[in-house]
Amino acid sequence: MSFLDFQLAYSGVYANMRMVHVLTSVVGTKCELKVRNGVVYEGVFKTYGPECELVLDAAHRKGPEPVVGPRHEDIVESIIFKASDVVVVQFKDIDLNYAKKDNFTDSAVSARLNGEHKEKDLKPWDGGEQHGSDSLESLDADMSNGWDPNDMFRFNEETYGVKSTYDSSLSSYTVPLERDNSEEFLKREARATQLAEEIEASATYKARVALENDLRSEEEKFTAVVRAERESHTPSGRENKYVPPGQRNKEGLSWGAGRQNSPRMVQSNNNVPSTRPGPHDYSLSSAADRVLNGGATWPSPCPSPSRPPSRYQSGSTSLPPRATTPTRPSSRPPSRPTRPPSHPSVHGSSAPVSTMPKRMSTEGPLRMSPKTQRTPRAHRLSSSRGGIPSGVDFIPHSAPVDASIPPPAHSSMSGGTWSSVVSGGEQHSDLSLTHRPRSPKQTTLGSSPAGSCPQVGTTPIDPVAVPVSPTTASLASNQAITPSTEAKESRVQETRQMSPVANKEIVKPVDTSPSIGRPVNKGDTLYLTFPASHEASTGDKIAPPPPAPTMSTATPNTSISPGSSSSPSSPSSSASPASVLCPAPEYKRGPEVTSQGVQTTGPGSKLDGQEDKEEKKDSVQEQVRKSTLNPNAKEFNPRTFCTQPKPATTPTPPRPQGQPSPSVVVPQPPTVYSQTVCFPQMYPLTPVSPGVQVPHMTVSQTKPYRAVPSMPQQRQDQHHSQGTPTMMHPASATGPSIVASSPAYSAQYFTCSPQQFTSQTLVQQMPHYQSQHVFSSVMQGSARMMAPPTHGQPSLVSSSTTQYAEQTHAMYGKCPPALSVSKLLPMSPGPIPQSYSHPSATLHAQHPQPSATPTGQQQQGQHAGSHPAPSPVQHQAAQALHLGTPSQQQMYSALTPTPPSMNPGPNTQSTQASFPSAQQAVYIHTQQVQHGYNPSHMAHVQQAHLQSGVVPSHHTTPSHPPMMLMATQPPGGPQHSLPQSALPPIPVSSTAHFSYMAHPSGITQGTE
Amino acid sequence: MAAPGPGEYFSVGSHVSCLTCLGQRLQGEVVAFDYQSKMLTLKCASSSGKPNLCDVILINLAYVSDVEIINDRTETPPPLASLNVSKLATRARMEKEDKLSQAYAISAGVSVEGQQLFQTIHKTIKDCKWQEKNIVVMDDVIISPPYQVENCKGKEGSALSHVRKIVEKHFRDVESQKSLQRSQAQQTQKDSALSS
Repeated sequence: MSFLDFQLAYSGVYANMRMVHVLTSVVGTKCELKVRNGVVYEGVFKTYGPECELVLDAAHRKGPEPVVGPRHEDIVESIIFKASDVVVVQFKDIDLNYAKKDNFTDSAVSARLNGEHKEKDLKPWDGGEQHGSDSLESLDADMSNGWDPNDMFRFNEETYGVKSTYDSSLSSYTVPLERDNSEEFLKREARATQLAEEIEASATYKARVALENDLRSEEEKFTAVVRAERESHTPSGRENKYVPPGQRNKEGLSWGAGRQNSPRMVQSNNNVPSTRPGPHDYSLSSAADRVLNGGATWPSPCPSPSRPPSRYQSGSTSLPPRATTPTRPSSRPPSRPTRPPSHPSVHGSSAPVSTMPKRMSTEGPLRMSPKTQRTPRAHRLSSSRGGIPSGVDFIPHSAPVDASIPPPAHSSMSGGTWSSVVSGGEQHSDLSLTHRPRSPKQTTLGSSPAGSCPQVGTTPIDPVAVPVSPTTASLASNQAITPSTEAKESRVQETRQMSPVANKEIVKPVDTSPSIGRPVNKGDTLYLTFPASHEASTGDKIAPPPPAPTMSTATPNTSISPGSSSSPSSPSSSASPASVLCPAPEYKRGPEVTSQGVQTTGPGSKLDGQEDKEEKKDSVQEQVRKSTLNPNAKEFNPRTFCTQPKPATTPTPPRPQGQPSPSVVVPQPPTVYSQTVCFPQMYPLTPVSPGVQVPHMTVSQTKPYRAVPSMPQQRQDQHHSQGTPTMMHPASATGPSIVASSPAYSAQYFTCSPQQFTSQTLVQQMPHYQSQHVFSSVMQGSARMMAPPTHGQPSLVSSSTTQYAEQTHAMYGKCPPALSVSKLLPMSPGPIPQSYSHPSATLHAQHPQPSATPTGQQQQGQHAGSHPAPSPVQHQAAQALHLGTPSQQQMYSALTPTPPSMNPGPNTQSTQASFPSAQQAVYIHTQQVQHGYNPSHMAHVQQAHLQSGVVPSHHTTPSHPPMMLMATQPPGGPQHSLPQSALPPIPVSSTAHFSYMAHPSGITQGTE
Repeated sequence: MAAPGPGEYFSVGSHVSCLTCLGQRLQGEVVAFDYQSKMLTLKCASSSGKPNLCDVILINLAYVSDVEIINDRTETPPPLASLNVSKLATRARMEKEDKLSQAYAISAGVSVEGQQLFQTIHKTIKDCKWQEKNIVVMDDVIISPPYQVENCKGKEGSALSHVRKIVEKHFRDVESQKSLQRSQAQQTQKDSALSS
């Protein structure tokens, strides 16, 4: 995979890297845009869409005469120009280097110089014939040590007339020794001789003399790079040494992934006979160890503490190695059985067996206590996170995640791929199958932290995902491995997302571009395996934590807390997070989308729980871990050991229920649905914390897949098993997301809106924005489509998105009903979640398209069965939307970013938790607004409706473009400011934007 | 997505000249081309002649009548540098706010002289804004209509004196501009008088 695949994933202009780069480089600059009828608009270039739609902020129509400046009434908040209406756009006096990342970091410098070094071959200097033998050779031949002092004196005397007073006896400084034969003198002479001998015999003297008389040149001693043949395995002291990648491979070929990550390194080190029993064990132990090491990049995975950490980036920051070790034990036992085959080849040299005992002793205890194991994992995660920039926030999250992850790895064969992909460095493909799952998650977590902005958003998501995962895990275990193609896709997407995170190592994880590129690589390998492993791992891990997490996490999401206690309530809570995330995904993939939404919520709740736990400190963590440990242990062990009690007993449904908490389970099912969806959702969220979200998403996705071969059916099954609550949640989750996205836009528009009144176009534009991920990201979410009311004609821009507009219109119109429905449905305590679900539901119901997608309907039907009447509708609608229009997904994703910016985060126990909640809140708010809570919102809704009505016309008459696009809206002028304020999206941060960029590709891939 | 790479139609780095349907001749170095949307991005020398800057032109080839490649690219285009999106987003926001605040002042009835002065000050000091009809520079110096040097008020200090210098120079330049125009106008009048 790589860039090509990436690009394929993106649609339209987004696939054109150079165009994206140039257009992005001029964002925020003034430009003059000439449309087909010759009218010129001037504005600030805000963003662009996949079809090369251009968005100008604060645009005004430029008159023929140069005026000092436009009047406030002449300025339109923002205008979207369809590419087909644009003739020429001129950006004047652009500094294309303005937004380039700093050029003074090591990475930046090395990035520029990378590759040039190879071109420089050192050549011996050839002085040519000029100097020839006289100077150079004579010098070489002259063995004298420079000038003789007497020559110098003579030269000075002859040339300058300077007479030296130098006395070789140094009589000025010393007194000549007067020799005599007296007894006294002989005595003293003998004594002096004796002392001299003693001194000269001393080691220090010899050492100093050796230094002084070293015949080696200074270059040899200090500068030269001597490439003597080294033995691959030096006894000791090698632990901390840097091992070139090439040599690493030699040592640990088996690890295939070969990424720089510590696992290989560790193994290689381990091979060293003397010092590291531990390492050997690791290699032998298998994936688990590898996973730990690699995935975490955690410093200490290995018994031999010091080495791995140093190598690993995270290692330095990470917690003490020992802490991590505990976790290993659990994973190791299972892994060992499976691993042996693969490992031998690689590690071969050292005797694994011998090392094994040692580890057993050390690790044994750890294994015994599941709690401890989990905690270690958490620590690892934290440590890894710590390494990352934003590590702190993530750490809490990561810990839980890690816990969940490991189990999956063990259970699933595919896990190996995951780990490799995710960790990049960590990848121990063969060994790590079980472990890998963890590593991916860890990596994802870690990566997410890297992006500061994203982190917050992600963290919440993670929690949600976690809860979900348990259920999924259970499903996975029961169902065994049923990685569907969808799962793969989702995985891929996840991996992509993950990869960015994994790329932490790379200096520029934060940058959008890097993330994009990286994801692809990882994604390829990992994707396939991931589903199973992730699902399993997540499920296992999650399952335990869910109860505790939900309880603890409950605080973050008001709704969640109830959910923990009872499945129904939990679903609602989970749903809310999911809904936020889900919206985009759902759109793209009807059934899947919904599931994704659920998943997202699940992860979020999980994350929250994790966070809360962390906050609560050890006690809480322990509880959670215990809960998680048991489930995890079972799942993991079974896979590795082939003794999984839970899986055997009850396929998907039973486990979830039996496991930690029904509520947890419930969230998971949603997650499953959302898997496909998740990506899209993830995108929106991702901006905040891409990495985190992704992991969660993947987890949840995997679970569903495994559990149910066919996405829709499986999902339904899961939901049913879980119970109506779960069903509700997914639905709500999916629903909310959709609704939320639309509301957010509408809200923005509304705020914008002087234009709104005039314009139907506005509404249409709105959809466009959503569809245009880039727009939203670039725009910062705040971008509002301003339709020029004056023209009256439908905006050309809108015409392109007529379909969208229609959908959106439908959404709007339906929204009110949906809201009512949602209100009814939202049994869950959390008001916000309900609102989310409702909006989505309403939207879905309204959309005609749903009928088109069979799968979606099926799911819906199932959902309906479990859920009250309202819920089914929502699901269907959501599905329909998803199926109907991929573009919608994009739009949603775009919207999602804005919600975070909105920042309502009523439930903010932890920042991470708060984010999810905030997003939810935002969605809700938008919806509410539409409903008429706020007068202005009401107005917006109305406008939206109007717009919807208009939209069709636009479609019919695209030719009008120029006119429609640009009409200035004098009346609206004052309102502009307000909308801007309302549009907090900007806060999301650039990273978020990048993530968006990346995400689209992922999404597209999935869909494609 | 079978879209051909940008190089298949226009190789990045080559120089292209085209004539738009509105009769505008555009020429520059190809930076990017998107086949599906027919959008061609050119980079040309800055219209203001600033050495470190350039103009970027986005052309819809659907409305271009004549495209000719002046010369093909000589070397492979450089790799794309990663962009600081937050920086771009901030710039977009700032630009927008600037424009809106300026528009606000204009609609508030600020005289043309005041607007010109604001533009001049803004070139030197970014931190200036409209407050009703007053220009506020660095939150320190307030220039009220009719925006003469004596209208600059604020805490005595370097900031105030600096702003006064700018204002003084601005009006001196405006005066010289006017006198120049006046002399030209007079010249033309004389010419016309003579000719008649």
